[in-house]
Amino acid sequence: MKNRLKVLRAERDWTQAQLADALDVSRQTINAIETGKFDPSLPLAFRAARLFGLRIEEIFHDPALDKDRSSPAAEIKTDTRV
Amino acid sequence: MNQLKPPENRYQSRIWTNNKRLCRWHGAWAAATLLMAFGPIFLWKARVFTLLAVGLDVAAGVGMILGTKRYVMELDELHLRVWLNALGITVGVAVLAVPPLAVMGAYHVIPFHANIAHLMILMGLTFVVSLFYGIWRYR
Repeated sequence: MKNRLKVLRAERDWTQAQLADALDVSRQTINAIETGKFDPSLPLAFRAARLFGLRIEEIFHDPALDKDRSSPAAEIKTDTRV
Repeated sequence: MNQLKPPENRYQSRIWTNNKRLCRWHGAWAAATLLMAFGPIFLWKARVFTLLAVGLDVAAGVGMILGTKRYVMELDELHLRVWLNALGITVGVAVLAVPPLAVMGAYHVIPFHANIAHLMILMGLTFVVSLFYGIWRYR
C-alpha cells in the first residue's frame, strides 16, 4: 500500500511526533506507515483522512489496483460502450 | 495558550503509565512466587501459611494477567502487531521445546532434570528477543 502521508505532513510542516499525537499513535507507527513497512487499519486510515480533510483514497492507494486498471483486460472489462 | 514545554504525545504518556503499572504487577507476582517457593523453607512450617502464599500468588497472577491484557488493548496497532508476533513465536517455541526437553530429561541426555522453570526461562527469553526484534524491524 502506497500513501501520501509524508507529503501531506510536510505540506503542513508537521513532525512525525505531531502527526502521531494527532492520530493517537506512536511516532514509530507513523514512520512505519510512511516508509511502507506497515499498512494502517481502516479506523486509523479514516482518522488520517479526517485530519487532512481528504478521502481515504486520496491518501492511500494500492499500486496493484492501479496496475490492474491500466491493463488491457481491465479496459475491456470496464468498457461499457455499445 | 502559553506552552512552555512541547506538547506531550498522549499515546506515549499513556503507554509510559501502563508500562509502570505492568512492571508493578509483574513485580508483585514475582515477589508472591518467591514467597510461595521459599516461604515454607525459610519463614514458616505451618501448612496454612503455604496455602495463603499460594492464594496470594494466584491473586497476583490474575492481576498480572488482567494488567497485561489492559496493556495490550491500549497499544496502538503497530505495537499490538509486534506484541502478537512475539507472543506467537513464544507459544510456538514453548510447544516445540517441551517434548525434546522432556525426552532429554527422562533419558539423561542433559545433565539436569528439565522442569517448568526452564520452560519459563526459555519462554521469557524468547518473548523478549522477539519483542525487541519486532521493535527493531519497524523502527
